Amino acid sequence: MRRLFLRVTVVAAAVVLAGCATLGVSSHTDRGLVWSKYKTFDWGPADALPAGDPRLDKDPFFQDHVERAIEKAMASRGFARSATTKRPDVVIHYHANVAERVGADHNDGGYRNCASDDCRPRISRYEAGTLIVDIVDAATNVLIWRGWAQGSLEGVLGNRDRPPAY
Amino acid sequence: MLRFIRPATVAGVSIAVLAIAGCATLRVNSYADRGADFARYQSYAWAERGAFSTGDPRLDNNRFFSQRVEEAVDMQLAARGLEKTSAGAADLLIHIHARLDQRIDIAAFNPIDGRCTEDDCRPEVYDAGTLMVDLMDRRTNRPAWRGWAESSFDGMVDNQEWMEATIDRAVARILARLPRLSS
Repeated sequence: MRRLFLRVTVVAAAVVLAGCATLGVSSHTDRGLVWSKYKTFDWGPADALPAGDPRLDKDPFFQDHVERAIEKAMASRGFARSATTKRPDVVIHYHANVAERVGADHNDGGYRNCASDDCRPRISRYEAGTLIVDIVDAATNVLIWRGWAQGSLEGVLGNRDRPPAY
Repeated sequence: MLRFIRPATVAGVSIAVLAIAGCATLRVNSYADRGADFARYQSYAWAERGAFSTGDPRLDNNRFFSQRVEEAVDMQLAARGLEKTSAGAADLLIHIHARLDQRIDIAAFNPIDGRCTEDDCRPEVYDAGTLMVDLMDRRTNRPAWRGWAESSFDGMVDNQEWMEATIDRAVARILARLPRLSS
């Protein structure tokens, strides 16, 4: 059950990233992993990988938003933030990536007369954001779960007032 | 012709296409160093894993992907009688490269008689994956063999079981092209 709940964690965090755009959400994990032994979490060292977009790299507002969203979601799944003096059961990393992707435009369906320009192949470019959340077993330093959400960032980046919907 | 087919038939065909996509076509090929004597190779080890980008953040530093590839290679090489040893003693060092890119299939844009339906009015955009297996001769530090597989990887990263099955199939097909080894 917890595995399903964790999926919600990423969605909650990703909504911050992507506003209300459609998200593709999925995860990888070990089958047969015993989640019940993990009870406490803490943040791992910051991800050194660049976000691929200067608007997100080292943006404290963005990071604060993501971290608060993940903390909130973890808490609601029954994870407690570990005391600073104690080693947590799991360590969380996240990584945000922005990359240009292309999409084929959907037509509005039905049969069309292709004599006109609108029958040309229509390719559009958009900025796609990916938010990745890694959960690492703190004792073994092995990745036990990775979840992500991908969606278009059009009109989201650089628009800080867009309300986070989590 | 397609536009005369009834919607129910189209739905049926779509399901069939999805089933085939589950076994997406793999294009497999390999190069071998003509001077390499494959009968000499008896052992292998994994080369130190260099940091490489797969082009997809979901797969970068993702052990659920990289370990599956390594396990599949281990299994295929064991089946060919190669022994896994330490990097200092191995005849061959193995490198893996994986890459995911978006491709555009313009050929999918195929209006018929100046008309088109929704599906063939637009070109297809999909994620294509390339998996490469390099065998380096440890003594000469030269590449002995490279095999690779290319295939559509669309939607596979989001489905762990499908991804794992595709990795297993791709690795098996790639290493099936290895020249006959000593055993």
